[in-house]
Amino acid sequence: MNRSRLAYIALIILMLAVPAGFLYYKLYVVRLPLQSLIPDVSYKIETQLEVDGYGNDISIATFIPKNDSRQRIFDEQNNAGVFSLEIASAGLNRIARWQADGVNGHQYLSYSYNVRASHVRYEVSPELTIPEHYPSEFDVYLRAADGIQVNDPLIENVLYQRLHLPQHEVLKVLPTLQAIHTYLQTQLENRNFSGFTDAVTAIKLGEASCNGKSRAFVALARKLNLPARLVGGLVMTPGSKRTSHQWVEVFIAGHWVPFDTINNHFAELPANYLALYYGDEVLFKHGSNVNFRYAFSTYKRLIPRNEVSEALGDSWLNSVNIYAVFEQVGISQNLLKILLMLPLGALVTVVFRNVIGLETFGTFLPALIASAARETGLFWGLVSFLGIVIIASWARRFLDWLQLLHSPKMAIMLTIVVILMLVMTVAGVRLGLFDLAHVSLFPIAILAITAERFALTEIEQGSKKVWHMTIMTLIVISAAFVVMDSLFLQTLIMALPEMLLVVIALNLWLGKWVGLRLVEFVRFRKLIFGREV
Amino acid sequence: MPWLENTWLRKLLHWRRMSQRVLSINQRNLEFIYRYNPRRFYKTADNKIVTKKLLAEHGVPVPLSYFVIESFYQINSVAEKLQDLHDFVLKPAQGSGGGGIVVITRRDNHGWYSASGKCWSLQELQRHVADIVFGTHSFDMGDQAIFEERLSPAPLLEKLSPWGLADLRIIVLEHKPVMAMCRLPTKTSGGRANLHQGAVGVGIDMKTGRSTHAIHASQPISLHPDHGENLIDLALPFWQECLQIAQRCGEILPLKYLGVDLAITAAGPKVLEVNARPGLAIQLANDNGLRPALFAAMQAGVDA
Repeated sequence: MNRSRLAYIALIILMLAVPAGFLYYKLYVVRLPLQSLIPDVSYKIETQLEVDGYGNDISIATFIPKNDSRQRIFDEQNNAGVFSLEIASAGLNRIARWQADGVNGHQYLSYSYNVRASHVRYEVSPELTIPEHYPSEFDVYLRAADGIQVNDPLIENVLYQRLHLPQHEVLKVLPTLQAIHTYLQTQLENRNFSGFTDAVTAIKLGEASCNGKSRAFVALARKLNLPARLVGGLVMTPGSKRTSHQWVEVFIAGHWVPFDTINNHFAELPANYLALYYGDEVLFKHGSNVNFRYAFSTYKRLIPRNEVSEALGDSWLNSVNIYAVFEQVGISQNLLKILLMLPLGALVTVVFRNVIGLETFGTFLPALIASAARETGLFWGLVSFLGIVIIASWARRFLDWLQLLHSPKMAIMLTIVVILMLVMTVAGVRLGLFDLAHVSLFPIAILAITAERFALTEIEQGSKKVWHMTIMTLIVISAAFVVMDSLFLQTLIMALPEMLLVVIALNLWLGKWVGLRLVEFVRFRKLIFGREV
Repeated sequence: MPWLENTWLRKLLHWRRMSQRVLSINQRNLEFIYRYNPRRFYKTADNKIVTKKLLAEHGVPVPLSYFVIESFYQINSVAEKLQDLHDFVLKPAQGSGGGGIVVITRRDNHGWYSASGKCWSLQELQRHVADIVFGTHSFDMGDQAIFEERLSPAPLLEKLSPWGLADLRIIVLEHKPVMAMCRLPTKTSGGRANLHQGAVGVGIDMKTGRSTHAIHASQPISLHPDHGENLIDLALPFWQECLQIAQRCGEILPLKYLGVDLAITAAGPKVLEVNARPGLAIQLANDNGLRPALFAAMQAGVDA
């Protein structure tokens, strides 16, 4: 075995052994929880409101969610144009009120926030009995109210005739709630309409939407001396919708325990439920004649967990502490993340070039363009890549016709690219395409390099070839984007930057890989598959 | 063993065996070009003037050079130097894929006529030389224009390829010829002997020098797509000389994994150029992978 081969094998072993050592240290000495590397689900909720003004004063109010032990709200953003926003506390709820005087024309308002909520499930002890007395502040959760006719004979009738609950004895909490929940869940049909339904009407009709069923639940519970309240909120599923949801909470042994008879959640609430307000309230309040419309847009996204850096704490291996050093000299975490993900993007490109056999512009360019596309999203990233390439191709032909030397020609192309990106940014803002407008310095530089690379390839290898390579490059950019955008891999590399050595090891291996590329199986298919066994 | 009876498994194993005969780009680059052709020697193969000079010094037949134009101030001398020439080939020293080559077959009072019948005035020829020297056909800052003798192919090749000069590509590993194919220009290839541009590739049996298989646009054929002549089981003239010349090229040149391109003239083979990065399409033309022959050649090198 010669020395080069020996060094090669030693290097691969080193590149695998060092990260393995670090990983061992982090997992078994520092006790980094592995599952903390799996990203958390979060939702972005955008409340979009529209009104028409005819010179009148307009006031709109709605509930916005609060932090509690189950849900965390962050990155709240208000985009309200002429309206001024005031956020106030009202009992358990937070109210956002937008106001403007002399409003004319069609107006948009939007209020967005991110939500991280968890699934909760309560175990109710089967021995627990319904208490006889509560402190006075619970009176409000026990008495009759509009639409919650606790003292209507029908409520008593349901409890003792239909549910056969024993009268004149101390009831156990769990079987009682099970009976109520099952009754409402199975005997009242789900109806999907938005009107107000009171408890008695819902039971009489044998059908109800969420608010009717919830009022019936509250009425039945309160009748049995169980404090109960309505909760209004959203079921967060990606997309746009106008329907909000209602469920109930019953106070059991010091906890408000959730029940949803529409979707059959007994003493539990899934992670995609967002509580907006407590009590029998109306979600939106607005003056008349404003042609009010609203919609909730929900986007699901993945975010890294905080547990990684928490677990590593003050250990010198805590990369988050190391990254703090970079921040002191003005390198943002975001840029660092892009830098750390670039080797993975390059690895994807290597696989596409050497294992699959697609020809691309350079090895790093697809990864660089993919990282540039992070800010604009993949679609606009690809669109601007194609746009730049087409403009650069035209510009080059024109400059060729003028017969200029190479370097000044490329400097002119760079200038054209910069101007083009500025135009795209301005156009993006004007047209409301904010994603397109997120083109910063970094992508400009990369797209300028792309323009030069494209021009050179077109000169050397001809138009047909260069367009073939452009399409292949688009494919590889998309693949690199998917990998580099993977939150799991981002969290992994941020927490364990030593994994970059594994990337080197993989490249070392691929660097000696002599197998047929996928496209070669196609090219030589007659030699391989065309022979009889 | 009963699992061997499984036809799918047998098929997979068979395909694996077959795929192991094919030389891949990765393997060509890593185990042949990087190993046998040090980069510093590329310029020997890439510049036809250097190649021809080196080969001619060692007595390998190459086309006769009339003169070479190396810079712009020599362009005016073209008129004087062309006075006695009635047919010649003008080509860039560092061109690739047959780009920039002009074949002049006759002249009259109006000018020089190329193989396609186009008439070139002196000014047009000089402009073409200027383009070559400027580097238009060789992605470089500068190049040289070669004026050399027009070769007349052997009758068989003349008959098969009336639209341009056919050539014979022989892959040589450590001066052992391993695989050969004949490349016949077609109408669609515009007279160029380049398979990518539509030339016909004809696989040649190394022992007998007879054609075994032919492809056009990656599809197997047995008749020429333009004139319908049979392409299979034809005996190439001067086969032993071709092999010897290819072997001599491998011995003389510092590059040990080579594609030697020969023209077989009525008087015998002459080396047109050599290629340090020969392509893989020769496997399709021969309907056979390169690897067994390459490894046999390597084995022979070890035994010797």
